[in-house]
Amino acid sequence: MPFQYLPVMAQNSAPKPARVLVSPTKPAWCPIKKPLNESRVALLSSAALRLADQEPFIAREDFNYRRVPSDPSAGGIIIDHHSGIGRVPKQDPEIVFPRTALADLQKRGVVGSLAPFHFSFMGGLRDHGRIENALAPAIANDLKQAQVDLALLVPY
Amino acid sequence: MIEGQGIPTLMIGTAHDIMSKVTPPRAVFVDHPVGRTFGPPHDRVRNQAVLARALEELPNFTRSDALRDPGFQWLSDGSRIWEDELSAEMRQDR
Repeated sequence: MPFQYLPVMAQNSAPKPARVLVSPTKPAWCPIKKPLNESRVALLSSAALRLADQEPFIAREDFNYRRVPSDPSAGGIIIDHHSGIGRVPKQDPEIVFPRTALADLQKRGVVGSLAPFHFSFMGGLRDHGRIENALAPAIANDLKQAQVDLALLVPY
Repeated sequence: MIEGQGIPTLMIGTAHDIMSKVTPPRAVFVDHPVGRTFGPPHDRVRNQAVLARALEELPNFTRSDALRDPGFQWLSDGSRIWEDELSAEMRQDR
């Protein structure tokens, strides 16, 4: 049986109410249109990632996002997310944000191309309305501008 | 939201219970500790193997809300001793 995260999260948030999980109010399904080896791919991470020269995220309720260059040689990744589970991934952000692995798969022809940027935001935000009405549409618009065919969501 | 804009998504995550409740359009379950989705630190071979295996699931999604389990194991012997360590780690996250 898989590890159960929700009871631990509920314990950790006590005495505050447990975090409420919310699904989108307008769920959608978009068929895959291209084979992976012809697709442009971007990563979306909820780890509040950035490059060293980008503005740091504000702890807990930052509704902005960062464009992180998809080229691994563009600079090392910093994790701003406040979660205690970050002790391990902060040693090597690639284990939650596989930027190098994706670039290698693109070089091998498994993935068609990379979007110039990947995207990251602060996971665990509690204002779901603001996520649905502002943050997610802004990221979706950026993905569309970058002509992304497949977005890989890698939760923190 | 993103799928509504015409962009397919694939979630690759470690929290089976959370993904089951949030029901993303396509999700691949990686049975690793949270925060180590693509393997242990500095293991580029495993990072790429996990990502590649997850991507192989893409053609198998035929409906929304599907959660696929390719059978990833954190420890090669299938042991789940890591769950005790993870529980202790998460208890510090208060």
